[in-house]
Amino acid sequence: MRSKKPAAAVAAAVCGSLALAACGGGGPSSGGGKLSNDKVVLGLLNDQSGVYKDLSGPNAKIAIQMAIDDYKAKYGAKAVAKTIEIVTADHQNKPDIANTKAQEMYDRQNADVILDVPTSSAALAVASQAKAKKKLFIDVTAGTTKLTGSACNKYTYAWAYDTAMLAKGTGTTVVKKGGKSWSIVYPDYAFGQDMQKSFTKAVTDAGGTVQQNIPTPFPNDNFATFITKAASTNPKVIGIMAAGGDLINFVKQYNQAGMQSKAQLAVGLMFITDIHSLGVDQFAGTSFTDPWYWNLDAKNRAWADKFQAKTNTRPSFAHAGNYSAAMNYLEAVQAAGTDASEAVIKALDGKKINDIFLRNGEVRSDHRVIHDVYLAKVKSKNQVKEPWDYEQIVETIPAADAFEPVSPDCHM
Amino acid sequence: MTHPLKDTSDTSEASDTPEASGSEADIGTALLRPGRRNALRWIMLAVGLVAALVLPELVYPPVAMDIAAWALFAISVDLLLGYTGLLSFGHAAFWGSSAYVTGLIAIHWGLPFPVAILGGMLFAMAIAVPIGYLSVRRTGIYFAMVTLAFAQMIYFIANQFSGLTGGENGLQSIPKSFFGVESVETDSFYFYYAAIGLILLGVWAAWRIIHSPFGRVLVAIRDNPARARALGYDVDRYKIIVFVLSAGLAGLAGGVFAISHGFASLEELNWTTSGKVVLITVLGGIGTLWGGPVGAAIVVMLEDRLASSGFEGTGIILGSIFVVIVLLFRHGIWGTATDLLQRTMAGRRDQGD
Repeated sequence: MRSKKPAAAVAAAVCGSLALAACGGGGPSSGGGKLSNDKVVLGLLNDQSGVYKDLSGPNAKIAIQMAIDDYKAKYGAKAVAKTIEIVTADHQNKPDIANTKAQEMYDRQNADVILDVPTSSAALAVASQAKAKKKLFIDVTAGTTKLTGSACNKYTYAWAYDTAMLAKGTGTTVVKKGGKSWSIVYPDYAFGQDMQKSFTKAVTDAGGTVQQNIPTPFPNDNFATFITKAASTNPKVIGIMAAGGDLINFVKQYNQAGMQSKAQLAVGLMFITDIHSLGVDQFAGTSFTDPWYWNLDAKNRAWADKFQAKTNTRPSFAHAGNYSAAMNYLEAVQAAGTDASEAVIKALDGKKINDIFLRNGEVRSDHRVIHDVYLAKVKSKNQVKEPWDYEQIVETIPAADAFEPVSPDCHM
Repeated sequence: MTHPLKDTSDTSEASDTPEASGSEADIGTALLRPGRRNALRWIMLAVGLVAALVLPELVYPPVAMDIAAWALFAISVDLLLGYTGLLSFGHAAFWGSSAYVTGLIAIHWGLPFPVAILGGMLFAMAIAVPIGYLSVRRTGIYFAMVTLAFAQMIYFIANQFSGLTGGENGLQSIPKSFFGVESVETDSFYFYYAAIGLILLGVWAAWRIIHSPFGRVLVAIRDNPARARALGYDVDRYKIIVFVLSAGLAGLAGGVFAISHGFASLEELNWTTSGKVVLITVLGGIGTLWGGPVGAAIVVMLEDRLASSGFEGTGIILGSIFVVIVLLFRHGIWGTATDLLQRTMAGRRDQGD
């Protein structure tokens, strides 16, 4: 409340008009024509210092820059967006910081779209800001189905994945491949409970049975009793819905208990960066659904090579997803001839997309982007031929089957 | 003036130094004559008011609102830590539970936000009664641990009742309804001026508490609980009352924060929030009242700037600053500043008289 006092009065007079001018802007700043502020500004809001730093983090900016370069190369002199800028902020996975930074990006840095935003609570906060400011938000890394459910709005897109898709992908496909009896271990909080429900539905719909649902405390570091309990009914598959540090603890103890040979392990939510940080050995043989894999085919690999040349690492799905989201946003600006939100939304809605990230992609009416996803099995150590060569794609799940239908909770 | 933190650690020994009792609540005005001391207090209050009113002109309004909310939150902690000698490490419980209750009232009943915040504040005070009753029997580190334990309990309760609280997704889309005034409901600049009144009311309440006879008793309890008890004061009752009042102020701040952001998340109840507010209070200077706002301005602005700077280690910077302040300026930023002021004024009076 108190600021440095002598300067206050002078500074107030100087900044007053500035602040007022900037605060007035809420709606689209340009009416019919061309670009607001004569440029397109892409906002990247993600975790640049915490647990999701490797998943998207600072390298997502490089992926977005690649999209800008490709867009400029493609359209050259005909490009509608001649000047394209990226602004970034580190939300540290805190929803309040994400909320303030999103407002600042839209209001003061003139961002036309915000990209990425891991952590569900932060993404939901940004979605409500997008709605209030009437600017676009394309989420890549947060997995909550609420973004296209009860919290859906006209300005928010979910580009890559959600928890229901993970359940459907892994649950259904593993059952089809013979893993009919399941025990599900889940952390007892909203994310875990949602995943448990989605997986149970997917498994039973596919003709399998869930023998046991075992809640665990969260966070937790000793899973021994839960593993013993899960194994007591001799299921073919044990599903684990924990994420992050808890997942790593669980998998370690699962292996120590010698469970690898007794039951197949299916993981609800896992990223390639988790495999990389814990070592491929720990996860060998586990199944999970991946929205994108860098070594799927020659096309992905070529893009991954370009990415590696700039970052010295292989891309995660989040990097490719950010590239794709930025590229398609710019394509939509090109098609609309302006960066005015309503026109860009019109150009994006219903669009069918095939690019390095989306295969058989389509922007659905609820702004859920559906596309082919992949059931992956983690390779064992002797199958790994090069760095980041961790996944064996067992099956491609077609776009139409991968995602849940439009939620009745979504009213735009 | 001895350091309040030190006092909490050896309250049991009840050091019987003559200057310990009856020491001034306001460090900066200790040596002034009563008339001038009073005038200075009012000037401080006026300066604080002006600063609060020009703040959104100087910084981005949502950030200004954060500073104001954290300032009041820090003051509520200072009331306990600086003026009563109780280090609460669980104040997130009151800030966070008020944020949730405020949000629930605003969402489900659509009441104007000041009413919703009032509801949140009353809820915070209500849960502070049993928590305070059980924790004030301990002092020092034990008090800190007991309050932390209660705060963690509330954190897990909020996490479990995800149907009501949204679990780790948080309670989203809290409306800013304000009697249909659209500029306040949609523009953060005007919202600031609509909400700052509540914060100022809270600061004024803290100021009144500190400068009342009740506040004097608190300082006496802080400096020498045995003597306060010997003088006939019911020490535990005083502590419970100030604990509940402090929780109310924290709840008021938390409610404003929730409305300003439009959501309440588990982060608000997390122990890191309790830690952050203690950091802000110590950074600004404990037992100074104005230290909280100064600390809040520094920490919130720094977090905001660092988030956009591209620097990948916000925590390292904040931690280093904290270490430097604690090592070099033991009275915090505001405490050190007023110490200096007091010394120069005392020097000038010696020459003048």
